[in-house]
Amino acid sequence: MRNVGIISVGYNGRFVSKRKDVNIPEMVQAAVHNALAKTRLTLEDIDAFIEGNMATFEGVNYPNLWLSDHIGAVNKPLMRISTGGTTGMSAFHCAYYHVASGLYDTVMAIGWEKHDEGDAQVGLGGIVLPEIFTMFSFGPAMAGPGAGGTLTGGGSTGGASFQAMSYLAKCGGDVEHIDMIAAQARSNAAKNPYAHLQVPGCTKEDIAKTPMVSYPLRFGHTCPTSCGACVMILTTDRKAKKYADHVAWVKAVATGTSDATTGNLIDGQITDPADQVIATEVAKKAYAMAGITNPKKQIQVAEVYDGFAHQELMWPERLLLVDEGKAPKLLEKGALAIDGDMPVNPSGGVVSTNAIGASAMVRVAEAALQVMGLAEGGHQVPRKVRNAMAHGWGGLFQFVTVTIVGDTKRRA
Amino acid sequence: MLRKVAIVGYKQTQHTSESKVSRERMVYELVKSFFADMGITRDDVGTFVLCSNDFQEGRTISEVYMIPRVGAYMKDETKVDSDGITAIHYGLMRILSGNYDTALIVGYAMGGSEFLGHTIINHMLDPIYERQLGLINEISAAALQAQAYMKKHRLTEEQLAKIAAKDLRNASRNPYALRRLDGVTSKDVLGSKLLYSPIRELHTYPATDGACVLMLAAEEKAKELTDKPVWILGVANCQETYYLGDRDLTQSVSLKLAAAKAYKMAKIRKAAKEVSLAELHTTFASQQPIFAEALGLYPRGSGGKVIDRGESEITGTIPLNPSGGPLGANPFTVCGIIRVAEACAQLRGEAGENQVKDARIAVAHGQVGICAQHNTVFVLGNQPTA
Repeated sequence: MRNVGIISVGYNGRFVSKRKDVNIPEMVQAAVHNALAKTRLTLEDIDAFIEGNMATFEGVNYPNLWLSDHIGAVNKPLMRISTGGTTGMSAFHCAYYHVASGLYDTVMAIGWEKHDEGDAQVGLGGIVLPEIFTMFSFGPAMAGPGAGGTLTGGGSTGGASFQAMSYLAKCGGDVEHIDMIAAQARSNAAKNPYAHLQVPGCTKEDIAKTPMVSYPLRFGHTCPTSCGACVMILTTDRKAKKYADHVAWVKAVATGTSDATTGNLIDGQITDPADQVIATEVAKKAYAMAGITNPKKQIQVAEVYDGFAHQELMWPERLLLVDEGKAPKLLEKGALAIDGDMPVNPSGGVVSTNAIGASAMVRVAEAALQVMGLAEGGHQVPRKVRNAMAHGWGGLFQFVTVTIVGDTKRRA
Repeated sequence: MLRKVAIVGYKQTQHTSESKVSRERMVYELVKSFFADMGITRDDVGTFVLCSNDFQEGRTISEVYMIPRVGAYMKDETKVDSDGITAIHYGLMRILSGNYDTALIVGYAMGGSEFLGHTIINHMLDPIYERQLGLINEISAAALQAQAYMKKHRLTEEQLAKIAAKDLRNASRNPYALRRLDGVTSKDVLGSKLLYSPIRELHTYPATDGACVLMLAAEEKAKELTDKPVWILGVANCQETYYLGDRDLTQSVSLKLAAAKAYKMAKIRKAAKEVSLAELHTTFASQQPIFAEALGLYPRGSGGKVIDRGESEITGTIPLNPSGGPLGANPFTVCGIIRVAEACAQLRGEAGENQVKDARIAVAHGQVGICAQHNTVFVLGNQPTA
């Protein structure tokens, strides 16, 4: 077994709605420079590159080919990964396996999205199109304006609203709890210089005033579409100290997938979209790999993939970080805040910043920064972070990736 | 390598240009019958590595509906977005890490009945300049590449047609190939429709629907699963510059670099002496000498001589594309997996009429991009060391 360390995290700058001043390679290149500048490495030292984004969103097929010259990957190995929402973390896992396999020593993982060059909801609507065609064949009334929009549910928010209702029913929480967690995310984001939607001191009342999208999810509960890139550099335990002052060790990587339905099919039974059994299974695999027996105590901070605010409450439960059904109560007590017992998304999370191909990688990047003690602008968790968990989610409510990083090496 | 890893089984569809079933059904039936052939269930698979392309499928996150069809639901799965040969490379890494003992690789495409390769490849062009200009596309770029090589190394149109005819004849004996033209000659190739000079219809691949599945296993597991493991001796990938004007199209720099690494890993010192055959991802016949030379199988600029002397025929010194290669069938993104599968067939003595005698070490190649910007090479052997 080969230990793998994260030695650098780079961003292109603050994530924003529109970057009309740069094209795709220019935006990504800025993050590459930023990551390298934090190490004693030059581009020459990078043995291989791993790149990922949402394949169709910018209308460029295999963008790694175009990026080649702009990220320093000419005449170097490169692998492209694309798995929907989990893309960023799938690319990070691929980078981990580049090093863990013994085939490469120092590698660079790149996750990016430039949403101002496409329409995310058109792309996301494309995922459910086959299901919609099935509905056509059963003959729902399609006449009248907006009927098509009803079927696609307004892109991803439609499906997520089912999950939110179901989650609230299960945990006994209220829409107010979604307002509260969204407000926490926006104010955490204000402490993260790279976050997109920064609202210092955001309150649940501010969120409750935003327009309704698909009940119970309001505009203030949903993620923005951002432009941005995240770069991570990984290397072996032998080289980590030589190349950088800080290192976060990869203690576990795990991934899993269930069926492509909003209610996942497990052993022939349709389960509820808020059950997310696969997330629990993947988390258990990751804990076993990391040697973690009591995640509630041994994990000091979590970065979860909350495209929608209710997920910031749901995921910690499914990932066994808090007791099932207890997240709303813990939120009320302030336990999920940056200085709480189980801080969730001190970065502001996906709900505040979502450049899709980068988002799941940003979760690992932020977890690594927390372990290194390098989270900027006041979102560093005050107590010592020994282990941090990062979670990615994607596909049609079906893909889950988990990474655990820590301040000590993984034991075989 | 940290562990020895073998390919323990492979299976491809009967390729077609007008599939009568959906891609989900095509893949489901292929994987199901592969499991039956292998005598395994989905529980014997440690990790699934899929390969697809959203542009090819016309759908975002195109693997979402394929998960249950390959048996991956509630399992460990990931996906590469490249040629399928990359998925094999990634599956290998996942096994080498020690986290898994087996990996199932699945690639699929409906390039015949849905979106044609050429339209997808145009989306690889930079959207600011080249795509707007409309001069460069997959075929016109290949024509530039062909012209560059032909001019520099005096390869004639007749010789180019002979290369295509050789591959097409091999394909006519391959039961899985889509394009099977019995007794095809270089005259037929020269008589086929001119696309961009000198590229003609029979120099390039037919639009194909198809899928391929392949299983990798670490040494101990491989010996349980098959009596005929094909060992992965070396692998590497490399990509070169994007801009055609910056490239010397008469050669493939990235493939040369990748090949050097893969041979070093496999402890092969003189490829031309040690390699028994090569399966190349030649989407155009004109790429065959360029790839074979980058792989060190034939001397630089020897394309004309090699085909005139019949050295690349199945009975020649180093047969190139004994399966017929992509001119017989080229399902987009699956092609590299098929090249590896066909190389395995040769090393296991299962290649039927196209069997190369005493095949011991095979090279399989996959690529993506305009004029093969990104290349991957596998060196395979029927013994655990070269």
